[in-house]
Amino acid sequence: MMRARAGFAALGVVCALVSGCARMARVAVDDPQRPPQDLAVILPDSDGSVGRATVSNASGATDLTEARAATRISRNQAPSAATVLTEAEVEREFGDALASLPPAPQWFTLHFQFESEDLTAESKALVTATLRAVKERPVPDVLVVGHTDTTGPAALNFQLALRRAQAVRTLLIAAGLAESAIAVASHGEAQLLIPTPDNTYEPRNRRVLITVR
Amino acid sequence: MTNHRSTRFAVILSMTGFGVAFASMVVCAQPVQTIGRVKIAAGNAFVLRGSTSIPATPGLALLETDRLKTGSDGRLGVSLNDDTRISIGPDSETRLTHYRYAPAEGAIALVLNFVRGAAVYASGQIAKLSPDAVRLETPAAIVGVRGTTVAVRVDPE
Repeated sequence: MMRARAGFAALGVVCALVSGCARMARVAVDDPQRPPQDLAVILPDSDGSVGRATVSNASGATDLTEARAATRISRNQAPSAATVLTEAEVEREFGDALASLPPAPQWFTLHFQFESEDLTAESKALVTATLRAVKERPVPDVLVVGHTDTTGPAALNFQLALRRAQAVRTLLIAAGLAESAIAVASHGEAQLLIPTPDNTYEPRNRRVLITVR
Repeated sequence: MTNHRSTRFAVILSMTGFGVAFASMVVCAQPVQTIGRVKIAAGNAFVLRGSTSIPATPGLALLETDRLKTGSDGRLGVSLNDDTRISIGPDSETRLTHYRYAPAEGAIALVLNFVRGAAVYASGQIAKLSPDAVRLETPAAIVGVRGTTVAVRVDPE
């Protein structure tokens, strides 16, 4: 008799625990009454590297520094401490959005002979590679941006970089690329690949960067 | 002497004319500046521009302040001029609040507002040139990035 009562009591405790846990799980996952909550997750880049993100509001901040590190943020509360989501959790929350992310862009760097709009021999071969990348994409955009080194005045370099970019555009069109897919720009000497002081001869900075996206 | 002076005057005049023409060209160009394009669209996917709703199709040009929005079966992926990529899942909305990409003029900025649902942000040149120029906002927080990919989900209010 005593044993039976103890058994019922134990059963009751287990039932209470199970329903309690179930309620807690519901509260955490899909209780419509749960106050709105944001979720932020850091993911590896297309090259596999992981950057860094800081999620902050008036009440606090959380750093996300490793793959799939996540924080949850309720309105008017500090972001939660970082936790690492599983790949399955990331897929469940963001699968559709991730599948819709356009492919990472591809870059081609073309170099020029000194104070000229003629490509170096190696760079001429990259025109073909660019066209191949273009054909792999459903809605290709090609951006051609000219850069110079810091030899001479900035204003002249802006013009020189623009002429170089236009020369590359002409080459791409001659190779069969649609004019409407190409945009041309000049960054002059404002974006050096190799940082140098002003008036410095640096062949690596004299380039046209083609972005295919 | 007089001749020389009038030549100089003509040069200055023509330069001023060029300056005015260039300035007005820049001013005119600004309101219709394309900031990127739709690359992937499926299901009910729209670009909301002011009070108009444009069905999102691959190739559609995007403007600053456009809102990307999807229905329950929609998905949408876009690329911006600086290589930033953004995508959203079903029942989602993200606003391209502020965008400047003119590195030669030192003007770069990117502000996105994640309004609702699931979104992925993959950083581009703006984050590389000036991480502080990027601000990703949710209703409850701001996400600052150091060149990376971030996924954000926002519960409906």
